[in-house]
Amino acid sequence: MHLSNETMNIGFVKKVEALSGSSVLRCFQCGKCSAGCPMATFMEHPPNRIVRLLQLGQWERVLAGRSIWYCASCETCSTRCPNKVNLAAIMDALRKLSWDADGPSKESLVQLANRLFIDNIRTYGRQYELRLGAIFNVKSGQFLKDLLLGPKLLSKGKLKMFHSKNKNISEIEGIFKRIEEMRKKGEAL
Amino acid sequence: MTPGKKRLNYAYYPGCSLHASGREYDISTRALFKALNVGLKEVPDWFCCGATPAHNVDELLSLSLCAKNLSLAEEVEGDLAVACAACFSRLKTAQHHIQENPATKRQVETAIDGPARVDKPVKHILEILARDLGLAKLAEVCKKPLTGLKVACYYGCLLTRPPEIPDLDDCEDPSIMEDILRALGAETVQWSHRMECCGANFTLSRPGVVLKLSDAILSSAKLAGADCIMVACPLCHGNLDIRQQKIDEGHQTNYNMPIFYVTQLAALALGTAGDKLGFDSVIVDPRPMLREKGLL
Repeated sequence: MHLSNETMNIGFVKKVEALSGSSVLRCFQCGKCSAGCPMATFMEHPPNRIVRLLQLGQWERVLAGRSIWYCASCETCSTRCPNKVNLAAIMDALRKLSWDADGPSKESLVQLANRLFIDNIRTYGRQYELRLGAIFNVKSGQFLKDLLLGPKLLSKGKLKMFHSKNKNISEIEGIFKRIEEMRKKGEAL
Repeated sequence: MTPGKKRLNYAYYPGCSLHASGREYDISTRALFKALNVGLKEVPDWFCCGATPAHNVDELLSLSLCAKNLSLAEEVEGDLAVACAACFSRLKTAQHHIQENPATKRQVETAIDGPARVDKPVKHILEILARDLGLAKLAEVCKKPLTGLKVACYYGCLLTRPPEIPDLDDCEDPSIMEDILRALGAETVQWSHRMECCGANFTLSRPGVVLKLSDAILSSAKLAGADCIMVACPLCHGNLDIRQQKIDEGHQTNYNMPIFYVTQLAALALGTAGDKLGFDSVIVDPRPMLREKGLL
């Protein structure tokens, strides 16, 4: 790894700390987070290495990889950290910064699922699971994914064909709008 | 909570899954409260808590959605009963951050354009059963003890982690599920995967993750000699039940492992008829096993 003023971005690390409310520097690399992480096996950088890369200001490597999108938010790392590094919150902060930069990560399917889930809240107020699955398949190009599961779940009443919007949908839209405005004015990260 | 002579009442936040893929959790929760003669009134016009996707990319949105839901819950009498582990975790997290951090509270109040009324106690169904009612009371009202049923209690992630938020039980070695089941006459097995992640919402984006992690959970429960697994989260249920056939196909296994919600087993033990607990909604039919044990 080449460390220089060009590759290190300490401002980014400060932003992660502000968003997550957790120190990054406090980590002393015991590796307990990665030992208990159910998703480490799917990541190119396990959790403790993500923190080490952050300590060294290697923001591009962190955001470009798929590790942050493969975190399941199971909170095992934060629960077990002996130095009270809130790694689950740091992962949230990293995903937000990646998201705001329009997802430079190679992992796009998790981001797509997140986007559709949040769109569903804004449009309907509650999750419309059938629509979530159908649009995910179309947008991800996996038209046949879970094809046989859909009818089975419909027949069991586990998927609803139709879904009505919340009566108070305008209040939900208001929350989304006001958060956007706060960010524009610099009142929120 | 002062029950006094009045009937115990709860406000109820079912969450999105309980109106669709986890409908039997909603059906059995209502049946259980009826059997317990405890009031349960759904919060009107509640909306999605944001679950994992919202806090994954936008913490402020997640906190604001939950704060608004908690404000809506203020209109209904009683503590807020939550069945879904993810909704429970998000609502408790929002409550915790807003109560502890004045700057967060100000931002959330701007976002929801009003006061963040978040002080109503948020309680998971497990907590209501084990603490508000109490194990002695459960044993007393148990009409059909679950004798001979060996259950693997599966906690998953969000009921106990991170330790400062849910305040439900020990974060590494909880026993609230086992305590409830033993009060209702069931046997609980000791097993290795009580607290391991099932793959959660990767079921949509990366189902391969779920197949691997949930296989390990099913395998561990089987090895421990369990007849079934009990969960308290619709995502855990979906991954272990709906995805079980696919797991079998991919791993050359034949688990045939029924997955119950805590409310289904508790209501059954309290004498609710088996056809009122949504057993026909699940994929791995638990009825043959229950009949074999003489519980149905």
